[in-house]
Amino acid sequence: MRGSVVGALILKDLRMWREAIVLSILGGVIALAVVQLANEVSVVVGSVCFFIALILVGTMIPLAGIVNERKNKNLAFVMSLPVSSIQYTTSKLLSSTGIYLIPWMALVAAGLLIIQVRGFPHGLIPLALILELLPFIGFAIITAAALMGESEGWGILANVVVQCSYGLTWFFISRVPEVMKYNNSPVIVWSPTDLRILGTEVAIIPLLLVLTYFVLSRKRDFI
Amino acid sequence: MTGDGAFAISQSDKRPMYLQIMEHMKQRVAVGDWAEGQAIPSIRQMAVDLQVSVITVKRAYLELEREGVIVTQQGKGSRVASTPGLGGRLREQELEQHLEQATRIAAMLGMRPKELEHRLREAGDRIAGEPVAEEGTI
Amino acid sequence: MSELAIRMSEVSKKYPYFTLDNIHLDVPQGQIMGLIGPNGAGKSTTIRILMGLVHPDRGEVRVLGQRMPQNQVAAKWDIGFASEDMRLYDSMTVGWHMHFIQSIYSNWDAAYAGLLLKRFGLPAMQKVKGLSHGQRVKAALLLILARRPKLLVLDEPTTGLDPVARHEILRELTGVMADEGRTILFSSHHTQDVEQISDQITFIDRGRIIDSMDKEQYLDRWRRLRLEVPNGIELPSLPGVIEVKRSGRLAVAIANAFVADLPNAYETSGARVHAVESMTLEEIFVANVEHSREEVEA
Repeated sequence: MRGSVVGALILKDLRMWREAIVLSILGGVIALAVVQLANEVSVVVGSVCFFIALILVGTMIPLAGIVNERKNKNLAFVMSLPVSSIQYTTSKLLSSTGIYLIPWMALVAAGLLIIQVRGFPHGLIPLALILELLPFIGFAIITAAALMGESEGWGILANVVVQCSYGLTWFFISRVPEVMKYNNSPVIVWSPTDLRILGTEVAIIPLLLVLTYFVLSRKRDFI
Repeated sequence: MTGDGAFAISQSDKRPMYLQIMEHMKQRVAVGDWAEGQAIPSIRQMAVDLQVSVITVKRAYLELEREGVIVTQQGKGSRVASTPGLGGRLREQELEQHLEQATRIAAMLGMRPKELEHRLREAGDRIAGEPVAEEGTI
Repeated sequence: MSELAIRMSEVSKKYPYFTLDNIHLDVPQGQIMGLIGPNGAGKSTTIRILMGLVHPDRGEVRVLGQRMPQNQVAAKWDIGFASEDMRLYDSMTVGWHMHFIQSIYSNWDAAYAGLLLKRFGLPAMQKVKGLSHGQRVKAALLLILARRPKLLVLDEPTTGLDPVARHEILRELTGVMADEGRTILFSSHHTQDVEQISDQITFIDRGRIIDSMDKEQYLDRWRRLRLEVPNGIELPSLPGVIEVKRSGRLAVAIANAFVADLPNAYETSGARVHAVESMTLEEIFVANVEHSREEVEA
């Protein structure tokens, strides 16, 4: 009976997000179905929709799951259970990341599948991964802000900053010659620049989440 | 509910709750619901039934014990005192209280005992003329 | 029964516009403690501190023998806490919440939960969004009661409820007391509820505890005396009398430390005592707050 409640809280979040996970995967898959029509318009429209699905679900999870939970006073309910504030933070970091990982991985896999099946050049794969990791970073930033900021304002601010940065980041990435050079190559080419960018992206995500844990573990008042 | 449904704390009654509870319990004895020597609910049970705090019920029990209406034995609970004719005595007690009250008010109005007696007889005649008493304690 | 379910000593917490000052609060096991005070008096802050949600600047808090907030996890297994600023998930049903709580507490009593659902008239399959305020309060209470915690901490459980819902909740709360090992602390500005069901009373105003004691003793200390004061007679100021209001020949005195001699003392001074009345908690509440504020300002 006296086990940790963290597991129960994570399960609760998973149950609450079931529909959203399914819907986001569905949306992404429909977008990919448009991409695989393989005419110039469909590729652009489909790709944009695909990324919107990844961005949208990555924004909703922290905003609805953390910011709204606090705003709607559900947090007080959760804190009446046998959990400490750091256990709550742990459960939120794990459940949010887990909930995001499901559609993210599913859609990244589906994207790779489309490239394979429709015979798009495999040289696109590094670029695709670089771009697909961006919404994940966006998710991590908003999650960190939502948990550390403890108010709607910080969550929304982080959201706005993140949304505005996508265009800018894409623009800069498209300007990196080593990233764009092999886009039409029939085989995958991992340029050192590709690897550096991917490595940075992959490092930033856990770093943000661990930082959040660390900062909140030193906080005293919770509500 | 096992409860004492017939009883409700009155908010328009100005007396403290413990007095209302005492009165209620005395009435149960007076009307014969509770026989002499019969076990009565524990303080806690009575509190749950009446939806009143334990401490208030406890006070009522203590006062009733002091008046000799109930007997509480440690660990055995409470029962109505085994005094023969307790019910009748309680009714009489109530009458006495009302009479004393009336006498006090009469004195405040500067009434002489003779006058009060007369008034009492008048009141008796009035009640005899009515089909049912409109409001009363018993 | 001397064991304490809650013990707060020398607890202080400073906020920019409010200070909770040197709070001492003992709640014996098996009793109902009613916490009363005006809005903004510090009831909710006190409750948050004792639940471990807010760290006090100073002082010690023990709940069910556990130090708070350090051991809040251990303590909260046996505490049922509901507050006015707590809400269930709007998009989920009452049944979903019951299932969730059941997944955490192995001592969840499903039969009792079902009974409460019926008694409270709650629709299990309805989303919380569609419930009335009263139904939400009852749903939150159901989630607590069905696991029979040793200590119930309820911040304003009857605020904003209609008389029927209030009555239902008070009935369940007094029902809890059938088990003498269980304790309730609840705050309210509904003095009538506190007067009816609590064994102990704590008065709090402007971040300080004014009084904390046995309810019967407390009510017994207060009396209102109706006096007739002949012209030319000055009423003496007597110990235990906190307020005297006079209009013409009539006067009303309020005593917060009433002794049987008090009416005699007035009679000796030449006044006539018409009545000695006990006071409701509501009347005491107002008189007490006014009196303590005057004292602070003086």
